[in-house]
Amino acid sequence: MSIFEYNGSAVVAMVGKNCFAIASDRRLGVQLQTIATDFKRISKIHDRVFIGLSGLATDVQTLYQRLVFRHKLYQLREERDMKPETFASLVSAILYEKRFGPYLCQPVIAGLGDDDKPFICTMDSIGAKELAKDFVVSGTASESLYGACEAMYKPDMEAEELFETISQALLSSVDRDCLSGWGGHVYVVTPTEVKERILKGRMD
Amino acid sequence: MKSSHQPSQSWPLVAGLPGAQETIYSFFSPSFVTLSYFSFFFSLNPFSRFDYFKSLKMKLDTSGFETSMPMIGFGSSSDMLDGFSTVPSFDLPRTTDFDGFQKEAVQMVKPAKGTTTLAFIFKEGVMVAADSRASMGGYISSQSVKKIIEINPYMLGTMAGGAADCQFWHRNLGIKCRLHELANKRRISVSGASKLLANMLYSYRGMGLSVGTMIAGWDETGPGLYYVDNEGGRLKGDRFSVGSGSPYAYGVLDSGYKFDMTVAEASELARRSIYHATFRDGASGGVASVYHVGPKGWTKLSGDDVGELHYHYYPVAPATAEQVMEEAAAE
Repeated sequence: MSIFEYNGSAVVAMVGKNCFAIASDRRLGVQLQTIATDFKRISKIHDRVFIGLSGLATDVQTLYQRLVFRHKLYQLREERDMKPETFASLVSAILYEKRFGPYLCQPVIAGLGDDDKPFICTMDSIGAKELAKDFVVSGTASESLYGACEAMYKPDMEAEELFETISQALLSSVDRDCLSGWGGHVYVVTPTEVKERILKGRMD
Repeated sequence: MKSSHQPSQSWPLVAGLPGAQETIYSFFSPSFVTLSYFSFFFSLNPFSRFDYFKSLKMKLDTSGFETSMPMIGFGSSSDMLDGFSTVPSFDLPRTTDFDGFQKEAVQMVKPAKGTTTLAFIFKEGVMVAADSRASMGGYISSQSVKKIIEINPYMLGTMAGGAADCQFWHRNLGIKCRLHELANKRRISVSGASKLLANMLYSYRGMGLSVGTMIAGWDETGPGLYYVDNEGGRLKGDRFSVGSGSPYAYGVLDSGYKFDMTVAEASELARRSIYHATFRDGASGGVASVYHVGPKGWTKLSGDDVGELHYHYYPVAPATAEQVMEEAAAE
């Protein structure tokens, strides 16, 4: 198994009507053994930008801490929050700094930009940005996730329907992956509120 | 070194193998057509006394299946003799690089044994349990594999390792057990059945078979449990667990085991052990099946989906976090 599959992960983000949803699994494992079932992969940068990191768990935590640090500096200098497009460029630059010894994770960035327009993108471990209009996936279950999202996604879904769709896509995909699952963690973000939910999934 | 193999040579060569000479049982040389679940066997010895087998034959060209040397058991009773070999023979592949091919064959099955199976002996018989997940690397190929194989109505085998290997060799073992019954007018013992399987697997040592199985049954001496693996190893014991999830299953099994359990208590222990193994091990999951082998044969006791078992053992309490958020919004 490759180093990206050492801990196991699944992250997906979807775009709805003036809202977005980002979801991840909750397993932390060491190859086949499950160590924890409450590992946090999705973190808040500020109220309108979330980042989900898949891949090696230690790099997930370290990279998140570095990004929070950079965002706080930005807030002090600019006296405002970062736009999601800007944040994505920041992440891409930080990852490329380590081009010859990369962070072994693949981020999924989701945010609400100007005029509450949702923005999602994903990157590989050295910062190649991939923008999408509908959904992005990453992690060990990514192939299953592509299939499930492609089948279940519709454009312009409202927040509740988006929550249902992303949850079903996540749970059915991780049920086909030995290394991810054991529950789900979903954030649905609209211009007025952030709803965080834990999903009850198969614990095997 | 490379050598050219004649097309009709069969493997394994029975002559000279210490394991083969020790076996006293002599049988018809079975030639297996492994196309599906049905195996037909032939009597190749023209002096066979068991003529009714001819009624089972299909018209197939069997010249490739003939063994080079029929096996005669030493010192056994004459009605079992008739010069039949014990091992099914397979043709060697026609390659120039047989050693390289062998290496690839071993790697192909990759004896990873991603599964959890367990069996234990207690006062009322043998309890056998297994999960039902098949994984290929990280991908789950099936959540509904039957890993407990019914060899005959009073003997069970568990499957760990290569599915094809386990299914084939258990079926082969079932056939041998039936032949033994017909030849000796009584059932084979669990000890004898496991020895047959172990000797068979020993003769294929190094060829890349992946089999980690437990043979559980009830015979005249009472309950019997044997662990047999692809190295040809055979162990008698009261408690075994095989597969990648076995450490977790052992933890629960060993701490809850008592010899004087009822069938209900033992089946709950077995089910719980499998559940805990599926929780911790990524390569185990699906359905936890539990079988019981008693004096009258085996019965399937339960087949519970492990996803639901988790919430049965650990019901979800409503989280307080949601309530906190609602209060903040009301302010």
